Amino acid sequence: MNNKVKAWLEDGTIDVFLGYKEVDHHPLPYCFTKERLDEVDDLLLSPARYSLEKIATHMTDEEPDIKIGMLARDCNSRALNVLYLWNQLNPDNVRTVNVNCCPSRLKEHGDCSYLEPETVGAYKRRVGVDNNLALKDVEAYDETERLDRWMYEFQKCIKCYGCRNICPVCFCKECSLEHDELVRTGPLLPDVPVFHMVRAVHMAGRCIDCGLCEAACPMDIPLRLLYQKVNQIVMDLFDYKTGTSVEQPPFSILGDTVTLEPKPIEPLKVINNE
Amino acid sequence: MECKLVPSVCSYCGTGCGVLFEVINGKIVSTLPMKTHPVNEGKLCIKGWNLHEHVNSFMRLKQPLVKTFGRFIKTDWDEAIQLTADRFREIIEKYGPDSIGVLVSAKITNEENYLAQKFARAAIGTNNVDHCARL
Ligand code: SF4
Ligand code: SF4
Ligand code: SF4
Ligand code: SF4
Repeated sequence: MNNKVKAWLEDGTIDVFLGYKEVDHHPLPYCFTKERLDEVDDLLLSPARYSLEKIATHMTDEEPDIKIGMLARDCNSRALNVLYLWNQLNPDNVRTVNVNCCPSRLKEHGDCSYLEPETVGAYKRRVGVDNNLALKDVEAYDETERLDRWMYEFQKCIKCYGCRNICPVCFCKECSLEHDELVRTGPLLPDVPVFHMVRAVHMAGRCIDCGLCEAACPMDIPLRLLYQKVNQIVMDLFDYKTGTSVEQPPFSILGDTVTLEPKPIEPLKVINNE
Repeated sequence: MECKLVPSVCSYCGTGCGVLFEVINGKIVSTLPMKTHPVNEGKLCIKGWNLHEHVNSFMRLKQPLVKTFGRFIKTDWDEAIQLTADRFREIIEKYGPDSIGVLVSAKITNEENYLAQKFARAAIGTNNVDHCARL
């Protein structure tokens, strides 16, 4: 891995390489360059995960043509796909070194720790939503109970905006969560559940389920479940699995053509059988 | 392109969360929580998330101001310190050292707090030392 990165830096395939390095005893994201080639020997995989692709977009904002190499776990690659699609990064300017990904319901082995389930306290299990539940378990609660449980979670929000700030695919210059009509500045509780619903809607066809938002949430709100739900809807309606390809998402109005067709919709079942 | 990720400590409150500044071409463009920091374990409050904004703010005071005839006039540190020292001396001579109090802060380091109380006790001669976190 190190030799490949060195070679790329030396022959100009990339200008910088984003990986991890131990700084002050912390594994931190680090930008390796040709000028300090020796440092590449200290390149780490790091148990702690940061959104390297978000750093890459910030670099691209400064120098649009910069060629960036980066370590890519599975989540990084999925985020990159979404960023390519939404014209935030140019795939021609990005090279990845693919590495093992995190343990999750999808993959078994991994180098990072976040997706290991954390135990949830008894009170939260009783009145809130356990972060480790599967989507279908949450949906098994009846409607009133489900609403109560989610509202318990939402009302804890301290409006730190961490979920948005850390998210690799939240890049809007003007964010709806700062729009006065939707979420007012100042008050705590924030406007619940509007705050969380707005973000959930935006994550449809966009969230790549990396879990960084939930890990950054000081109130441990099960945000991933929320976005898994909206993406399940996208999957059911459009057969679109976010982040797995560079195929245009159903909600993107960018580009020349819309490539996705809705799945044939089954006739609605009559719910209210009066 | 110069991109550095600089670990630091949030200066907004006494909690002392670990942050990581994203510095691109000499400018802090973003603040991230430090995931492995024992204090905040990858989480921040809204103040910590926006540290780079107050560093870059055009409203930031970068040099001392002296209030002269009701208006703030820019000056240099030497003059500002001299003026402050002169006024302190005047006040102490007229009303005694206990007419002065020193308020320290949760936003500065232990060492700076120590220096401030030392200054109050040894230089000014008062025990009037207090702290914003002693509510
Ligand atoms: S899991 Fe959270 S941080 Fe990751 S892409 Fe989805 S919304 Fe963004
Ligand atoms: S929350 Fe919505 S508007 Fe805000 S940055 Fe994310 S996608 Fe954009
Ligand atoms: S990270 Fe959690 S507490 Fe912060 S704004 Fe998002 S949901 Fe609210
Ligand atoms: S991030 Fe918030 S809680 Fe942490 S030190 Fe800064 S102001 Fe205090």
